[in-house]
Amino acid sequence: MKAWVGFCGLLLTFNVSAAGGQSTLDLLKAIAFAGHQTDYSGIFVYQYGNHVETSRIFHIVDANGEYEKLESLDGPKREIIRHHGQVWCYSQHQMVQVESQQGKGKFPMLLPDQLSALSENYNVKELGADRVAGYETRVLLLYPRDKLRYSRKIWVDMNTGLLLKSAVLNDKNQIVEQYAFTELKVGKDADRAWVYSSEVKNLPGMSQQDSSKVVAVVNSGWVVDALPAGFKKTTELIRPMHGNHAPVTQLVFSDGLSAISVFVEPVGPGEDENEGLSSRGALNLYHKVVDNHVYHVVGEVPPITVIQVLNSIRYNGK
Amino acid sequence: MKHEISALMDGELFEDEAEILFGQIKRDPGICSDWAVYHLIGDVLRQPDSIHRDMTERISERLRNEATVLAPRSRALKQKVRVFALSAAASLMAVSMVAWMTMQISPETAPQLAMQQASMRPVNLQIQPAANDYLMAHQEFSPSNDMNGGASYIHTVTYSPEEKSQ
Repeated sequence: MKAWVGFCGLLLTFNVSAAGGQSTLDLLKAIAFAGHQTDYSGIFVYQYGNHVETSRIFHIVDANGEYEKLESLDGPKREIIRHHGQVWCYSQHQMVQVESQQGKGKFPMLLPDQLSALSENYNVKELGADRVAGYETRVLLLYPRDKLRYSRKIWVDMNTGLLLKSAVLNDKNQIVEQYAFTELKVGKDADRAWVYSSEVKNLPGMSQQDSSKVVAVVNSGWVVDALPAGFKKTTELIRPMHGNHAPVTQLVFSDGLSAISVFVEPVGPGEDENEGLSSRGALNLYHKVVDNHVYHVVGEVPPITVIQVLNSIRYNGK
Repeated sequence: MKHEISALMDGELFEDEAEILFGQIKRDPGICSDWAVYHLIGDVLRQPDSIHRDMTERISERLRNEATVLAPRSRALKQKVRVFALSAAASLMAVSMVAWMTMQISPETAPQLAMQQASMRPVNLQIQPAANDYLMAHQEFSPSNDMNGGASYIHTVTYSPEEKSQ
């Protein structure tokens, strides 16, 4: 662990803009590893439009893997726990398991080809030093080569490589959403008692790996013709979905930094026939009924991109 | 200079550059009016309910130039008729111009134009809680999990103000 922190620190002292491609890759790799390997707990503020909310986050790594908890501090109680690729969500006064993935949970999730995709699709600019939550950070701007995706401005802790602040910017340089730590404890100072609490021990399905529900497929027959350049398919699967009568086909495309998910399912009874665009911070969702199928396209991309992707969905199977 | 003002409005200038430019805007009325015009253009493009425009200058100028009519009454009337005839001709031309322009937009391009406008407008509609399953399913595969860690799950737990009031 200590060696890692040292390594990240070393990488972060490099000058990104001067050193070019390879060191950018190394830096992004260091950030991805730091996020998975470092113990931390703290409070962050999340903001988009007129909406501001405060949340507490924990990330602890022990012999059993990563434990992660995100809980809201204002508004109605909301909480998420992640461990070994499984996700629990607080719903109707109890924790329920919402996701579980086969063979997942081993970090790093960010694969080398995703990292190189990132440096192909985004330019990196060094913006100097800044202080966040009392820590010295380096500010980097990752900006795309087209208007079909957002820019990211990130504040990276110089010692640990953790992201302490992150902003998503549109093509007019306006902030679409941002979050920033206001309080952070790293390493041995991080609050770890909750990992051994009864809440975690009593999570339903914590012991057995119940991941038979989601089926990975090679080719469902559904294709997207008008993906923005650089987006590659990372996953294709068929999954049951809460409250849905029939399994849903999900295709995921990524350019290394953002992802676009395409969901296709047959029209159910009482389906909302209206098409529509909606958003939550940097996430945009567009849904539409086409030829007895409901399409949903979700992604951390501008509205125009989810519309473009949905309008190019096509069935290419037998 | 125009380029710099535009950069300033887009927030692309550094703090010290912006300070210098603000100083120039304060001192030079020409640059100051450029600044106002750029904002007016921006306002019009955003199509707000009302547009702020400082018209005091123009109104007082028009009042200064207003001729004091000393001519006999009959002649003034005749002139009024002529002005009316001219303005009627101008309105007719304007109407036919609009009609001609409308005909130029073929039925095919009209929806495309509407589509483009729709996509340029900021999205005001919040994602409904009913769609949370899709967000959750999307989130587990997003590379933002690696960049931002657990904080990226904020999208799936954030609440909209409408929810709170329920």
